[in-house]
Amino acid sequence: ACGGDKDTETASATAGAAGQNWRYAHEEFEGDVQDVFAQKFREYIEANSPHTVQVFRFGELGESDDIMEQTQAGILQFVNQSPGFTGSLIPEAQIFFIPYLLPVEDEQIVEFFRSSVAINEMFTELYAEQGLELLTMYPEGEMVVTADTPVRSPEDFRGKNIRTMTNPLLAETYRAFGATPTPLAWGEVYGGLQTNIIQGQENPIFWIQSGGLYEVSPNLIFTGHGQFTTAMMANQAFFNGLSAEDQQLVRDATAHAFDYITEYVPGLGDRMLEKILEASDQVTVTRLTAEERQAFMDRAPQVEARFIEMTGERGAALLEQFKADLEAVVGE
Amino acid sequence: MMTLMLVAMVVLLLLGFPMMIPLIVAALIGFYMMFDGFGQMNTFIQQMMGGIRPAALIAVPMFILAADIMTRGQSASRLINMVMAFIGHIKGGLAVSTATSCTLFGAVSGSTQATVVAVGSPLRPRMLKAGYKDSFTLALIINASDIAFLIPPSIGMIIYGVISGTSIGELFIAGIGPGLLILAMFSAYCIAYAIINKVPTEPKASWKERLTAVQQALWPLGFPVIIVGGIYGGVFSPTEAAAACVLYAVVLEFIVFRSLKLMDIYRIAKSTGLITAVVFILVAVGNGFSWIISFAQIPQAILGGLGINEAGPTGVLIAIAVAFFIACMFVDPIVVILVLTPIFAPAIAGTGLDPVLVGVLITLMVAIGSATPPFGCDIFTAIAIFKRPYWEVIRGTPPFVLMLVLAAALIIIFPQIALFLRDLAFR
Amino acid sequence: MKDDLPAAHRSALPGLLGIVDTAISKTEAVILALGVLLMALNTIANVVGRFVFGESLFFAEEINRILIVMITFAGIGYAARHGRHIRMSALYDALPVEVRRYLMITIAFFTSAVMFFLCWFAIGYIQSVHGTGRVLPALSIPVYLMYLWVPLGFIVTGVQYFMTGVKNILSRDVYLSTHVLDGYEDSEQEV
Ligand code: NA
Ligand code: NA
Repeated sequence: ACGGDKDTETASATAGAAGQNWRYAHEEFEGDVQDVFAQKFREYIEANSPHTVQVFRFGELGESDDIMEQTQAGILQFVNQSPGFTGSLIPEAQIFFIPYLLPVEDEQIVEFFRSSVAINEMFTELYAEQGLELLTMYPEGEMVVTADTPVRSPEDFRGKNIRTMTNPLLAETYRAFGATPTPLAWGEVYGGLQTNIIQGQENPIFWIQSGGLYEVSPNLIFTGHGQFTTAMMANQAFFNGLSAEDQQLVRDATAHAFDYITEYVPGLGDRMLEKILEASDQVTVTRLTAEERQAFMDRAPQVEARFIEMTGERGAALLEQFKADLEAVVGE
Repeated sequence: MMTLMLVAMVVLLLLGFPMMIPLIVAALIGFYMMFDGFGQMNTFIQQMMGGIRPAALIAVPMFILAADIMTRGQSASRLINMVMAFIGHIKGGLAVSTATSCTLFGAVSGSTQATVVAVGSPLRPRMLKAGYKDSFTLALIINASDIAFLIPPSIGMIIYGVISGTSIGELFIAGIGPGLLILAMFSAYCIAYAIINKVPTEPKASWKERLTAVQQALWPLGFPVIIVGGIYGGVFSPTEAAAACVLYAVVLEFIVFRSLKLMDIYRIAKSTGLITAVVFILVAVGNGFSWIISFAQIPQAILGGLGINEAGPTGVLIAIAVAFFIACMFVDPIVVILVLTPIFAPAIAGTGLDPVLVGVLITLMVAIGSATPPFGCDIFTAIAIFKRPYWEVIRGTPPFVLMLVLAAALIIIFPQIALFLRDLAFR
Repeated sequence: MKDDLPAAHRSALPGLLGIVDTAISKTEAVILALGVLLMALNTIANVVGRFVFGESLFFAEEINRILIVMITFAGIGYAARHGRHIRMSALYDALPVEVRRYLMITIAFFTSAVMFFLCWFAIGYIQSVHGTGRVLPALSIPVYLMYLWVPLGFIVTGVQYFMTGVKNILSRDVYLSTHVLDGYEDSEQEV
């Protein structure tokens, strides 16, 4: 089986040969948003060039940090990693954990990702320092909190252990919201909700559906505090070594997948919520009013301060640009 | 490439190289052929680190440590005495209570090898004295310890849950049914064996003796309470329950029973660290090995060739059972789960099989394989601990292996054996 | 698990080398024991923190990650020293002593070479992680520091197996490690 693989490997080393095999790894399971994006990218490349793309899903080549390092080492050509995980490599990427920084309305968020100077210029530089060519960032959907009771105010969060990733900034967000941030390995989340070690967690709605988390944590709260954002990039040396034609091909394929996914994600959230409501009659849906949101928004500066403390001047400049970009989108 | 890797593995394994070497050499062959040299070997090291990263793995050293403290102290033997007081006088009772003790201890330790050591050491002399043949005794201890893998907590299930993204809590509860089924089968066999071979019984314990035995075991009965109550009562995650067992064992043996001295904790911890290291280095290199297999997309090639994706749910379950069984006769069960689970993942997803059912079946097959000649690792644990020759250790195993395979078949035919309790608790 | 390891290990090497070797052995033992105990303490402290103080220890998981690397790579050298690495010895045990001795010489030198080979790549990996500047998110410690044990563990293990090979060349008996004689009474323990 491997003779062929070896040949394509040699071929990709001598860039310019007819058909190359590119390897692309992401962090999610079959059929999840990142997988859909990767498959659209693959389809476009394979339909418009002699090249092939092999897509590796979560765990097949290791965890998020592993596939990132493998891309930096040039074993993989493309990688999809969420900035939340990139935090250990590029601290500034944690900016996406700051609550109420990104809009959650569908048209605004797409426009924001298309036009933002912070994302399209500043982040491109930050990734380039790590030998990565940032091709695009895209939203995977609004972060939805699930909890043992409905939550409408920071007071309702009091005394609740909310599961977060091992990330100081995300922890700061939930501390600011009045909850007790509790780090737990994702393998233990379902059991932890079931046995009440934790009283809540946050995830995009399609994960809450596919992971069955609503079964054990049935109160869905749309706080509007964040968009789950992810980034797709290439090994920079590989990308720079491509012919101008192939570089354009990669950019076109990325744009093709981005257009598809920004149509796909908003509908996905609604479909998944429908599925959840069909599957369980215990589920409640709480959408915060503007007034209720304000109580949470008022606590965001605490998280911003922590972000600047962690990332210094560069982080402060990035945050400022983010806010300016947002103004431009919302102001329109 | 796969053929060369497999041949190198088997040859080095059979010649008696340390088990990490066959895995490393096979991976080196894979890396060399895949990348035309050793230019990408950094990724092998990266994946070794990835192998020992999952937080749930912490439960392994914690349970080994707790079990070791209990065995060197009095907790383990007090638990055994209590069980004996109630069924020691029944025909085959001593054998049944050995099997039951393995189940009880399994509930505490989660490790088959720990159970072989902890239950086998005190009970084997008593069984020999009572007139059981050594080959029967050894086979019973080795195979009954398999139940330790199925009754929660189970190291195998934790690792399967981590890799496959399956809820560990659900796996735990689904293991109880099959565990009890096997215990019942073994008990029936023990009674039949005792009757046929006219094994004498122990004198019946008086109610006063039983009361004393229960009183003696009151403190150690706190272990199952901590694990089951703690996990399901929302106090601990499974990993934390393991650490809580350590704390409880320390309190019991050092303060309540005063059976160990403070310096003993250093020696016990050192021994736990050593056992952890020799197991985890295999977990680490096993992960590096499985990375290159996965990168070269070998599983897809093999599974595509065998047509397993078209085999339907029952066909996939049987293929899984056979593959894990055979692999565990050669390699450490943890490594087998690590390497084979991702290989079967597409077929499992494709057929829509319940990952919890698959997890229980895999756990059972892994347990059987590790107690099965020629190379099951429990056999070597027994050889090392009881210092008996290879042949004597394996002679009595065939009836037990047959019963276990029958249990596996029953789970495939009647999935409710595993899923009934899970559905009751979670659905 | 029942057999105790010797309380103190005296090196088979002469003079200054022997003193260094004994010191390494003692250090490994202390690291192993402390690593395991710290892991238990850290995990329990997290539970206590959550229940008593309503605050999880954010760095608990990362500390356990550091400890597990430390235990594993301090432990493989120690295991090699005491002939405790897991191996499948069914066929090997059936061979006559003289054949076993030659086989053990091959096993020891080959294993030693593989350990040094991996040590080289472990250093390479640490350099590349160092180059990326990756840090542990909660502790803010550079990730590469956690991996420093890895090449050390490989070197110590490689040296141990090399000395085992030499010992078997010099001796008429078969040795699993520099001071553990092959055979059932002194046998290595499978775990
Ligand atoms: Na168990
Ligand atoms: Na077993």
